[in-house]
Amino acid sequence: MLKAILFKISFFQWLLIVVALFFIVDRVKKFFKKEYKQTFLKFIFSLIIWGGVLFFSLFPDVARQLSMKLGLGENLNVLIFFGFVIVFIIIFKILEIVERNERNITEIVRKNALRDLEKYKKKKK
Amino acid sequence: MKKIFLIIPVYNESKVLKETLEEIKQYGYDKIIVVDDGSSDDSFDIARKECLALKLEINRGKGAAVKTGIEAAKKLGADVVVTLDGDGQHNPKDIKKMLQLINDKYDVVLGSRLKNPQGMPWYKIMHNQIGNFFTWIIYGLWVSDSQSGFRAYSRKAIDLIDTKTDRYEYDSEIIREIKKHKLSYTEIPIEVRYTQYSMNKKNKQNFINGIKTLIKMLIYS
Repeated sequence: MLKAILFKISFFQWLLIVVALFFIVDRVKKFFKKEYKQTFLKFIFSLIIWGGVLFFSLFPDVARQLSMKLGLGENLNVLIFFGFVIVFIIIFKILEIVERNERNITEIVRKNALRDLEKYKKKKK
Repeated sequence: MKKIFLIIPVYNESKVLKETLEEIKQYGYDKIIVVDDGSSDDSFDIARKECLALKLEINRGKGAAVKTGIEAAKKLGADVVVTLDGDGQHNPKDIKKMLQLINDKYDVVLGSRLKNPQGMPWYKIMHNQIGNFFTWIIYGLWVSDSQSGFRAYSRKAIDLIDTKTDRYEYDSEIIREIKKHKLSYTEIPIEVRYTQYSMNKKNKQNFINGIKTLIKMLIYS
């Protein structure tokens, strides 16, 4: 069955498979190396997104059947799928920026508070 | 003689803060650092009269306040740090037992409400157990009270522990750090005094905050 699937795959499908595999391997490596910014939640979302790309590249018929059941045309289905991917990426980026800003604010506020400690130490001397 | 510092994060605790600090002092602890987490009442002024007080200009959460206090204690040469809440829930008489255990061999002593749940409301027990479960799932270490703020740390522990979160998820993050740095730890039963005041506080951990805490634990895991 796998042989039959592999022989039927077009150039663009191959391209998507290679790209998806690259990102999945990359994310798994980053997660297990505990690289900075690679959190559990991001890891799971990356796997879902790139796993989805890989799955639909290997089994485009599933996407076709799904779109038929949902009453969507083929082209529209692809468009919606990529739309979701883009929206997910944007949400991730925004979350990342918000979290970074939150941390930066905390650091500034904490450093400011610790300045009072220096004054206290000087006073004690 | 070891330098023992007590860190108390406070947020709008003016009604009970003076009383809490006086009670702690009665037990002979005079190195107290209160970190006011952007209170809108006069908690900071009250604390300033009683001990060393630091102020976070805007509310950044319990984790940020405790972290600031610990950093201050390190700069002042602390050998042992004890963290406790500013609402008077924790009984300072338990500090002695904690210090004894730190002196014996432990890097961290965790005060556990669930080892002595007398008088603890059922929903708080349930809430804590859920917190323990997720802390265990995400960080891989089972403790009986992952959300307790009453803890003692050796100098080695405060030098190694590095937290990133600002709010209530901080307490669970400490558990992660204990596992990560293979710190020796133990849990002891602590007495918690549930008063009308502490039960009616708005800024306590509730269900919605619990969900937010869980999401942040996942993000920072």
